[in-house]
This record gives sequence, C-alpha cells and structure tokens, in this order.
Amino acid sequence: MNRVRAALAGVGVLAALLAGCGYDDTPLPEAPEAESPAQAADPECTTVDADLASYEPSDVVVPGGKVEEIRDRGRLIVGVSADTYKMASANPENGNRIEGFDIEFAKAIGRAIFEDTSGGFELGRNVQFRVITAAQRIELLQNGEIDLVVRNFTINCSRWQDIAFSQVYYDATQKVLVSKSLAESGYDGVQDLAGLRVCAPTGSTSLDNVVTAAEREGVDPPILEPAANHTGCLIKFQRGEVDAITGDDTVLAGLAAQDPYAVVPDQEPLNDEPYGIGANQDDVDLVRFVNAVLEEMRADGSWQAAYNRWLKQELSGVDAIQPPPTQPYRTG
Amino acid sequence: MTQSAAAPPPPAVQPATAPAQPGPAKVRRGFWPAPTGKPVGTGIEDTPSLLNRLQIIGMATVLLFGLLSGLVQYLSYAADGRAADDTEQLVRVQEIQSTLLRVDAIATSLVLIGGEGDREREAQYDEAVDRVFQLIAAAAEAQPADEKALAALNVEVNEYATAIAEARSNIRQTFPVGAEYLSGASKALRDDALPILRNLVDANTERAEDSMGGQHPFWLLLIGVVATAVLVWLSIALARRFRRYLNTGVAVAAIIVIVTTLVASIAAWRADNQNDGLLENELRMAVDQAAARTAGNDAKANESLRLIKRGSGALYEDPWIAAADVVEDRGDRQVLDEWNAYVAAHQEIVRLDDEDRWGLAVQIAIGADGAPGGLDSTAAFDTFDESVAELVQENGTATTDELRAGRSLALVGSLLTLILGMAAAVAVVRGINDRRKEYA
Repeated sequence: MNRVRAALAGVGVLAALLAGCGYDDTPLPEAPEAESPAQAADPECTTVDADLASYEPSDVVVPGGKVEEIRDRGRLIVGVSADTYKMASANPENGNRIEGFDIEFAKAIGRAIFEDTSGGFELGRNVQFRVITAAQRIELLQNGEIDLVVRNFTINCSRWQDIAFSQVYYDATQKVLVSKSLAESGYDGVQDLAGLRVCAPTGSTSLDNVVTAAEREGVDPPILEPAANHTGCLIKFQRGEVDAITGDDTVLAGLAAQDPYAVVPDQEPLNDEPYGIGANQDDVDLVRFVNAVLEEMRADGSWQAAYNRWLKQELSGVDAIQPPPTQPYRTG
Repeated sequence: MTQSAAAPPPPAVQPATAPAQPGPAKVRRGFWPAPTGKPVGTGIEDTPSLLNRLQIIGMATVLLFGLLSGLVQYLSYAADGRAADDTEQLVRVQEIQSTLLRVDAIATSLVLIGGEGDREREAQYDEAVDRVFQLIAAAAEAQPADEKALAALNVEVNEYATAIAEARSNIRQTFPVGAEYLSGASKALRDDALPILRNLVDANTERAEDSMGGQHPFWLLLIGVVATAVLVWLSIALARRFRRYLNTGVAVAAIIVIVTTLVASIAAWRADNQNDGLLENELRMAVDQAAARTAGNDAKANESLRLIKRGSGALYEDPWIAAADVVEDRGDRQVLDEWNAYVAAHQEIVRLDDEDRWGLAVQIAIGADGAPGGLDSTAAFDTFDESVAELVQENGTATTDELRAGRSLALVGSLLTLILGMAAAVAVVRGINDRRKEYA
C-alpha cells in the first residue's frame, strides 16, 4: 500500500513538473523617457513703448466697416478663456456662464455696439463668447472666425505684425505667487527664491525672466519646474512639488483665489505684460471703436469697478488705475 | 487461467540450434509453433529465463502505458483547470480595464454636471471605484504572476482616485483648478495605468490560449500504439517458444491497452475540439466585448472632456473617433444598435459644440431635462454599457464553466488508466505464469 502511495506521489510530482509550476511575471511597461522642457522662442523684434500705441479712439460707425458688419450680423463674436479664474472662467453656480475681468470688457464693447440698435442690447443675444486656447488667438483673428480676442493677450511687436491691438487696457506684470507661510516670513522678491522650486508653463518666457531677475540681483536662481499650464502649476503647488509659481499677476490672482494658502505678496514686478484687445489687422474701425469704449470705461468708472470686483482682493489689495493710451496714436 | 483455443496446426518449427533430426532432411522454418503447449526449442536462452524476461518486459510495458497515458490525461485535466483559471483571470483583468474607464466616464460626467452634483451618479462612481479595487485584490490572489503588475496598477488607481477627489472638491467650490485635476487624472490613467492593464490582458490571453491547447490525443494514441506493438511482439515471442499462438493474459492486456487508448484518445480529441470551440466562440466573444466596453467608456470620457475643456474640444475628438472604431470593429451586432443610438447623441453634441452652442451640447451630454431633441447621451451610453457588460459576463462564465465541467472526466480517465495499466500487468503475469506451469 505504501508503494502504491509512493508511486502516486511520484506521479503527482512528475505531473506538476511537466505541467509547469507557474508563469513568468507579467512585465511592467517601460517608463517613458522624460521630455525635455520646450524653450521659449526668441522674439523676432524688441518691443518698445511705441508698440503699445494703438489707433485713436472713435465711436463713429464707419459705413461698410467691421462695426457695421457686426451690427448687421446681430452678434459680436469674442474669443475668451474659460478657465482663467477671475479673468474669464465658467461659473457652475451661474449656469456655467463665463465671468471675470476680461468679460467685463467684452460686455462693454457689445453694449456700445448694440445699445443704439432697434432691439437694444442683450448680452446672451448680442455677444457670443467663443472659448479658445492661447495658441488659437492669432489664427482665429486672422481667418475672421472671431471679431475680437479678450484673453490676457500681451501686446508686443511681433504680434503687431500679424494682428491689431487696442490700447493697453491693463498693465499686467509678472509676479510670483508663494505660500502664505513664505509670505508671512517676509518674502521680499526673487532673492528669497534661491534654492526654491518655481513653476511656470513649459516654454513660457516667465521662467527665463525669473532667472534673469535672480542674476540681476546677484543671487542663486530658483530651481525651475515647468508644468503644462498655470493651473497645472497650482496642482504642483498644492501637492508640495513646487514652492512658488510665476506668471502674470492677473493669472496668479486667479490661482490665489482657489487656494487659501497661496498669496501674491506685494513685490517688485519681474516684467511688464501690457494687455490689449486683439482684432484683425484690417479692422481698424473696430479697434478705434474698442479704444473709444475703453476711454468711456475710464470716464464712467466702470474699469475701476471691474478691477475692484475681480482682481484687487487677490492682488493683496493693491490699487491700480487704467493705463492711459500710449501716444502718439498709430495712423492707418 | 486456461489456455485459449489453439491455432490451426502449423508446420513444426525447427529451431536453428536444435540437434539434427532423423527423417526427411528438409526442415521448414515457420511462424506457428506446434499446438502442444511445450516449448519447441531451447534457443540460446533457457525457457524460464526467457519467460522471466518476457514477463518483466510485458509488465513494464503495460505499467508504463498506464502511467504515461494516465499522466497525459492528468496533464489535460490540469491544463483545463489552468485554462479555466486563466480565462477567469483574463475576464477579470479586462473587467478592471473596462470598469476603470467606466470610472473615468462617470467622473468626467460628474464634473460636467457640476454644482451640487448628482447623488445617483456619485453613488455609481463610488461603486465602480470599489469594484476596481476588489477586482485588483481578487486578481492578485488568483494569479501570483500578476502580483507585481497589479501592485503597480493599485498605486496608479489610488493616485487617480485621489486626484478625482481633489477635482470634485475644487469643482464643488467652483474653482477651475478642479477641471485641471480631472483632465490630469484622466491623462495619467491613460498614460500610466492602461499600459499596465494592456500587459495584463496580453499575458493572460497568452496563458489562457496556451492552457486551452493542453489536450494531447496524438500522444495518447502514440503511447497506446507503442504499448500494443510491444505486447504483439511479446505474443509472437511466446508463440515461437510454445505450441500455442495466443496467450490469453497477454491478449487481455493488449485489449485493455487498445480500448483504453481508443477511449482516452477520442475523449482528448473531443475535449481539444471543445476547447478550440470555446477559444473561437465564447472566449473570443468575451474578450472582444470587454475590449468594446473599454473603448466605449474611453469614448464617453473623451466626450465629457471635450465639453469640460471648453474650446479645446478638437483635442478630444480624435481619441473619441479612435475608441469608436474599436467598438465598431469588435462590438457584437447585439450591442451595436445601442452603441449607434449613443453615437447619434454624440454627433449632435459635436455639432452643437462646433457651433459654439456649448450649453445645449452639455444638456445632451448629461441628459438634462429639455435637452435638444430629447437626446440623452449618458442614458444611451449606459444602455450600451449594460448590454455589453452582460455579454462579457455571460460568455466569460460559459467558457470557464465548460472548461471545468469537462475536466473531471479527464481526472477519472487518468486514474482509471493507471488502474487498468495495473490490471493489464496482472493479466500479463498470469498469462506468462500459465506458460511457466506448462513448461514445468
């Protein structure tokens, strides 16, 4: 009986060996190679004060001009952002309507174009917001799909070669967002960023500017940690992967508003980012009309009201004034 | 045991070594021995030694036959068991993949709903996430070779679930960073978690297919033929030495070997055919429908993402089209009607979004009251998802049930063959003993 058992056990062992005792481990995918961050393109020209000049304001509706075309169409089509908090973002509490500082300008322009028409002005009917990416701004203006772009659009000489701009409607500056604790410990500028990790969108000039500012101050530059966009930087900031974010103060204001532990302390700006409203190069009458609206907003205090409502609190309560038009005006 | 009928009297065989006989000098060498039961020649080996040798060869042959044939059948039994386990694991990892994409589809639609959310949808999300973690734990327990990959997957799913929780929390506070958390989580899911799952699906598909090819009718037949040939040779050797051409014991052993071989080979051949059928039908169906379900949920998530990333819709349409192609290619006819109903709703969403009527597009996507044309993309998709999940479940279960049901016969067969091999050995011993008695 024992022999039989031993034989059966032997058969079992043999069978197990023949059947194979197990499989090879399932392989893990190979880690993809890390992409090297894209460098910001070198500018083709140097922006000087004269590049900030636009056409002289005029509220005259030129026959056969762009403003008349928009009136006839019954809709002003404006390219905007929908995820730049405080500048232009969808508000889920308000039916996902896009709200913010930039939107106030689009509304004012729409009102000025349509308020004298027979039907009067109605935002939903007369202004169509088209959400666009930053990369689409110039292309969509050039091919005429949109009339205007109000989307934190910095005026510079190379862009003037492709499109037209209104006069500066906001003097944005590049600043640094830091944690509340760093601000309270006395953050005083780029010299306090030495050895810290700073985030900005991949390929943006903001990262270069912060390094240049550190070199100018003669201090060690911060460690650069790029992300896909500014909101991606906020995620890195919230996860403790970076210590600071640099960018336009308007954008940083929106980020600070989403995180109670993030602040934009009062500081010396790293760079100037003058914002303008973009239009097609041929639509000079529309640009003049927009400039007239901006002057109207200065006169009636609606610019100040918009700033106070959307940005002031998030920019440490810093007061701001509407920039005066750069003169002499452009001719054309 | 008694001797069986004698053969017709053949001419006497004159052994080559026999001394010269008086009488006619012409001696004819023939096959058949004289029917006397007595050895007809002494040969170079004495008869008891020859009988011992033949007995050992005969016994060893039939015992080896029983062992090898039983072993092959046992291997078939084990292979079918493994095939059932591997198939179950394959269906399980595919369910993880489908459910994970389902989680993403629900998460993205929740973000689209925004505001206070949708309790029912949130419960579906929580349930789907729980299911993913349960499946990962079950899969790790079922297949040790998958443990490392599943551990890596577990980390990715945890990170995804954390990011979605952050996204939901931010979106609830109307912060746009919530959408960034969401799109980042969806991207990481596709970049980091899905490649692990693809490896798991590939590895388990290969294992299941290999295990289902574990039936060996040819080897059973070959072992039987070799054993029979040895027994025939043994009979001839006995017949040459004794005056009876048939040894009942050896003949009984040969019959046992032949019948066992025939039965086992036919059973293995049938099981092999059945496995081929399962592989080509039920299992293929389960695998294809799981792939279609995964791709369908991927498409639905991309639909939501195009609306969440308002203004960047085109970025998400190409992945939608690629996923839809997979559904149309691999989805069964039974579910394609439901898929097409969803596609119609999606096309309307794209049309409206392209015309910048984003609000109306969202109404269709979330099935809001008063959506254009009464369209409800989510409801249409859920109907498809439910049907295709049922098909996966049905065919996966049918495959494993069939594999498990058939395998017990192979186990019985392998034990029976072993016993029959021993019985045949006894028959050989008795047959040879009869000759030994006759010689004595």
